[in-house]
Amino acid sequence: MIRFEAVEKWFGQHQVLAGVTGEVKRGEVVTLLGSSGSGKSTLIRTVTRLEGIQGGQVLFEGVDVAGRGVDINRLRQRVGFVFQAFNLFPHLSALGNITLGLERLRKMRKAAARERAMTELDRVGLADKADALPSRLSGGQRQRVAIARALAMDPDVMLFDEPTSALDPEMVNEVLRVMRTLAQNGMTMVVVTHEIGFAREVADTVWFLDKGQIVESGPPAEVLDDPRHDRLRSFLSRAR
Amino acid sequence: MLEILEDNWLLFLIGQYPHGPVGGLAMTLFLAVAGLSLSFPVAIALALARLSPRRWLRGPATAVVYVVRGLPLIMFIFWTYFALPLLTGHAVGGVETLLFALVIYEASYLSEIIRAGIEGLPKGQAEAAKALGLGYFPTTFKVILPQVLHNMMPSLVSQFVSTIKETSLGYVISANEVTFAASQVNNQLMTQPFEVYGLLALTYFTLCFTLTSAARWLERRLAAERGGLGAQPA
Amino acid sequence: MGYVFDPAAVLTGQYLDWFIWGLATTIALTVAAWLLGMTIGIILTLVRMLPFRSLEWLVAGYVEYHRNVPLLVQILVWYFGVPQLLPRAIRMWVNSHHSEFLLAMVALGLASAAYITEDLRSGIRSIPKTQYEAARSIGFNYLQAMSYVILPQALRIVIPPLINQTLLLFKNTSLAMAIGVGELTYRTREVDSYTFKTFEAFAVATVLYLAISFAIMALGSFADRRLKLEIR
Ligand SMILES: Nc1ncnc2c1ncn2[C@@H]1O[C@H](COP(=O)(O)OP(=O)(O)OP(=O)(O)O)[C@@H](O)[C@H]1O
Ligand SMILES: [Mg+2]
Repeated sequence: MIRFEAVEKWFGQHQVLAGVTGEVKRGEVVTLLGSSGSGKSTLIRTVTRLEGIQGGQVLFEGVDVAGRGVDINRLRQRVGFVFQAFNLFPHLSALGNITLGLERLRKMRKAAARERAMTELDRVGLADKADALPSRLSGGQRQRVAIARALAMDPDVMLFDEPTSALDPEMVNEVLRVMRTLAQNGMTMVVVTHEIGFAREVADTVWFLDKGQIVESGPPAEVLDDPRHDRLRSFLSRAR
Repeated sequence: MLEILEDNWLLFLIGQYPHGPVGGLAMTLFLAVAGLSLSFPVAIALALARLSPRRWLRGPATAVVYVVRGLPLIMFIFWTYFALPLLTGHAVGGVETLLFALVIYEASYLSEIIRAGIEGLPKGQAEAAKALGLGYFPTTFKVILPQVLHNMMPSLVSQFVSTIKETSLGYVISANEVTFAASQVNNQLMTQPFEVYGLLALTYFTLCFTLTSAARWLERRLAAERGGLGAQPA
Repeated sequence: MGYVFDPAAVLTGQYLDWFIWGLATTIALTVAAWLLGMTIGIILTLVRMLPFRSLEWLVAGYVEYHRNVPLLVQILVWYFGVPQLLPRAIRMWVNSHHSEFLLAMVALGLASAAYITEDLRSGIRSIPKTQYEAARSIGFNYLQAMSYVILPQALRIVIPPLINQTLLLFKNTSLAMAIGVGELTYRTREVDSYTFKTFEAFAVATVLYLAISFAIMALGSFADRRLKLEIR
């Protein structure tokens, strides 16, 4: 579904992605591990062209995302993106954050959009917060609204960039629970995270990114319990 | 334009002096400097009164600030123009009138800056001073205000620029500052108002822009200073 | 002194008419200059967002001129200076058609535009880039992201300072008396010189100015409270 082929990315003189190759299959859950600055965020941001690349290709369903004739806004509707800092729109209620895309992009009627948004809010357990402004929600609740916002667009893939890193410990689980259910229902997911437990339990595949390359990849049992690289070993010992 | 400058630069700079009173740019600067300096103590008193828990202090001070904010400066100048002679019992010149109006007007605006500065200071500062056993006045004048005034430097320069611009209203009551001087030159020449007033605008611009730039530079230095302090463990 | 304060003396007959006309002119001048300032302010803001350095410098120069020259002097330049540059025929026409109101409006409007564009720019700049990214991630294009996500937020930030600009503009219309525009301050002086009821005349004007100023201030603090967004 998503294929990275020798992806290279530079910020000026600084090479952040040094030939990343890998594939995310339909229905697969990939967790992306790596120390800070290793290029995890940059890699998943290339999928929806939030970052451009200088070498290689990123393919979505076999089509180069940077190719001519690709409607990037269409593509972004099909790829849900969840940010570390939630990025809810502060001037809109929880419901309004979700209906905005449905009304303006899907051209749904107000009532239909509302109904759909309520379904999504219910799914993340926040139906009762529909009219609350983001400033009135806790961090965990905000992130769940952000997930609902992305899900409402019926994406084929969900990308998560450290969705729980900005949360207080007691709120991490409510978000992980939503993500776990999503994975069980067959959603294709790429999750950048430091939650090793989540990776072990939910992921089909774990990628370890180091210095802009995927240096280890495989099922969690293999990669997490029997790491071959020193860097991964020390990363795991620090994470625990 | 150069010719006008050549013939009238003295009038522009110092007015009729030494054959008459000082005027022109010199008077503009004097008015601005004196206006701001004299308004300073008034501003501090107003700010402290507005922050006072005592209603009989806070109420009138708040009223003064709001009335000044709500009235055009020119109204204020006219009030002074009529009221000052009655209050003092003898004739008052344009310069004195303008100066008096400016002091009250500027004091109100300055007091808001000072008040915001005091409110913006961490509560810990006042508490630490009190914990040492310092009373209200030592706390305010030795601990709080020095910090506020230091942080206020850029706003103070901006306020100085505002004051310079406001002195141009001397034109309306024939106070002998540079705008009035320019209008006199214009009346003599009759035929080149664009050059005369353009020159006047340029004069103000040069003066004020220099000061505005200085204020910005100060602002950046202060920001850097705060960044440096913030980086140290508290 | 035997002086009796008697505001009714200046609130009758033609003097009352003068006050009403003065107030109406002040309001008309405020509204006209506001519209002009807003239009030019928005245009300047859009222009300085274009990726051309030279245009950015041009707008910066515009802003600096209007902020560093006294408004009264700007008005004098427009009233006395600019007509001199016009062809004779147009000048004659302008001079015979109450040019003072028009020129005061232009001077006040252009000066307001300089302050307005600064407010608008800092409002837009204060919206974090991540908001834009989030909007694009949902699939909005540039214009949609701007109009549904960025501008609604920027507007909330910008409205309180714009209301404050309106207050300043309203007060500054009084400077137009210097070129003979028959606004409130000008009319007040007229009433004064006909009746010699100086204090009464100026008291009436003061009350009128304060009433409108306080209304604008109240609107400002209402907007401040209503529109405040806690971001994150
Ligand atoms: N816009 C940018 N301009 C310049 N350098 C950047 C930019 N964005 C990221 N970088 C650099 O690219 C490198 C990789 O960044 P990236 O955000 O992808 O790391 P990460 O693996 O997500 O780290 P973290 O765990 O801290 O989020 C870092 O060294 C970072 O400093
Ligand atoms: Mg990251």
